Amino acid sequence: MTLASCLILSAAVLCVGIYGLLTRKQAVAMLLSIELMANSANMVFASYGHFRGGPSAQVFVLFALAITVAEVAVGLALVMLLYRRHGDTALDLASEARQ
Amino acid sequence: MSAVTLGLIATFAPLAAALLLWALVPLRHRGAPAAWVTLLGSVIALAASVKLVIDRLGGAPDVRTTIPWIEERGRAMAELGVQLDGVSVPMLVIVCLVALCVQLFSVAYMHDEPPRAFGRYFTLHALFLFSMNVVVVSPNLLQLFAGWELVGLTSYLLIGFYFAKPSAAQAAVKAFWMTKLADMGFLFGLLVLYVNTGGFEWTAVPGTAIATWVTALLFLAVVGKSAQFPLHIWLPDAMEGPTPVSALLHAATMVAAGVFLVVRADPLFAQAPATREVMLWIGASTAVFAAGLALVQKDIKKVLAFSTCSQLGYMVAALGAGQAFAGFFHLGTHAFFKALLFLAAGSVIHAVHSNSLDDMGGLRKKLPLTTAAFVIGALSLAGVPGFAGFFSKDLVLGALEGKASWVPWAMLMGSAFLTAFYMGRVVIKAFWGAESEKAAHAHEGGLAMTGPLVALALPSLGAGFLGGWLATQVRAEYHLHLGLTPIAASAMALLGIGAAIMVFGKGGQAPLVGTLEKLDAFSLVDKTWAGAYRIGLLGVSSLAGWIDRYLIDGLMNFTGWAALEGGASARKLQTGLVRDYAMLVVVGVLVLVLIGVLR
Repeated sequence: MTLASCLILSAAVLCVGIYGLLTRKQAVAMLLSIELMANSANMVFASYGHFRGGPSAQVFVLFALAITVAEVAVGLALVMLLYRRHGDTALDLASEARQ
Repeated sequence: MSAVTLGLIATFAPLAAALLLWALVPLRHRGAPAAWVTLLGSVIALAASVKLVIDRLGGAPDVRTTIPWIEERGRAMAELGVQLDGVSVPMLVIVCLVALCVQLFSVAYMHDEPPRAFGRYFTLHALFLFSMNVVVVSPNLLQLFAGWELVGLTSYLLIGFYFAKPSAAQAAVKAFWMTKLADMGFLFGLLVLYVNTGGFEWTAVPGTAIATWVTALLFLAVVGKSAQFPLHIWLPDAMEGPTPVSALLHAATMVAAGVFLVVRADPLFAQAPATREVMLWIGASTAVFAAGLALVQKDIKKVLAFSTCSQLGYMVAALGAGQAFAGFFHLGTHAFFKALLFLAAGSVIHAVHSNSLDDMGGLRKKLPLTTAAFVIGALSLAGVPGFAGFFSKDLVLGALEGKASWVPWAMLMGSAFLTAFYMGRVVIKAFWGAESEKAAHAHEGGLAMTGPLVALALPSLGAGFLGGWLATQVRAEYHLHLGLTPIAASAMALLGIGAAIMVFGKGGQAPLVGTLEKLDAFSLVDKTWAGAYRIGLLGVSSLAGWIDRYLIDGLMNFTGWAALEGGASARKLQTGLVRDYAMLVVVGVLVLVLIGVLR
């Protein structure tokens, strides 16, 4: 396994995340896609840490994971509110800010 | 007690009374106790000022004590304090004595008022005495200005005492606006003085040009406050106030504040001969003009009001002639006999329940003491030899001898004749002749009414003999001389009285009365001011209103409208759909990546 193959994998995961974000309508699926994108970035961190040495990259990844979890918690709370309001989690329903 | 303490007591005892009555509402609303509080304040003030005079007779020196006010980097912008010298101490006694007499008279005169109004009346009286004493003891022009505005305020409140009556409310507002217009002069005069000398002292020597500006502006304030032509129109209207108020404020003390100011600022005025020239002419013309109008008034108080204008004209003319002492002396004697005349008129009005001379007549049998008091006041005002008015009027006329080719002198001589003539008319119409219907039930008021009349009649008789003492106090020269002026003045007074007896004794009318009445009814000066108000003030105001409403508000409204409209059109760019924004973010990232790759 080389650094290049690891980076290609993370790029592929990023693209999957982008594709999911743009195509899915359900808020939960979109959140999952965002998670994929965030973790692809973590993978880049971890790969460089592994191949170029030093434990600091791993520490950053742990921090980033903790922040991502918090972000997801906020996102899921918003999804809950969306569901209570509209009885559905399709994100297109939440376009009141336009008015 | 030191002189400064006494001066402070004389100033602050009435203020304490006013504050007490203002704070203790139940006391004020009870009525009679309020009068006692005010009277107590005035008695203390009078006692302190009499003690000051006694000390001065014992050789006490002039005192000037000040404290710095608004200090900035160790330098005070102005000073507050008391100055007790030959000008302020006699003035303090005059003010406190007349005020006490008037307040005592008011207890009887106003007893029909409801208790609340009665209490308000005496609170305002206490406030007035404080304000006037602030003017009198001022060590510089700034403090004098503060007192000046305070007396203006109390004057407004007391003219409008019967505020439910539209004419009284209008008169109050008119007096306020006319004097405020003039007071702008005081304010700007102070500014010019401060900018050029760095202080508010009347002893400053700023040079002729600046002194002329400052004194001209100050004189504008004097014209307003002392009711000189052409700003005199508020004074006759001010007679809407209760008669004792007219006696105290609009005859004896407040209107004389203008004269007092010039006496105080005499060192400044001495550097401005041009201002003095103007003062000479304005004073002389007011004296004649107002005396003419006094001749045709049907309201006894209005006769006295125009007479006050006229006598203030004498004082201003004397000041213009550079004889501050003559003006000051006339101020003092005038305070006594004019307050006496007003209080006697109040006693008459109280007896017949009318201001109109037509409702009076034959009152001398019903009101002997009032008649005696009024006659003494009238003789003093006319300048009959021996009475107080004679000495001071003689001094004023003597001051004008030979000034400006004798014309102002002749004008004042003429108005001396007119003064005697119109006072003769009032005395004959009110106290002699056939008894009118309303006069039948007239009777003298109680001791509170007659006491002040006697107390003021004595100085009206004898104050003239104090001239020598007063002159030493202000270090002026004073000597009675038997020359052209005293003989001519006495002749004018006696001729005027004689003519009045000849004409009005038989119930006749004076010559030219028709013309004067038309002039009075047309009231040219009044109408000019009303027109100036309508065209000038209302015109400028409506122009300013238009600019505010359409230009300034228009700009504001346009800004708001533009923001709203711009926002509404920009809103169409937004879909509100999360996937659109996500797409934009992704496209944006791709663009950034592309830029990064291609570089």
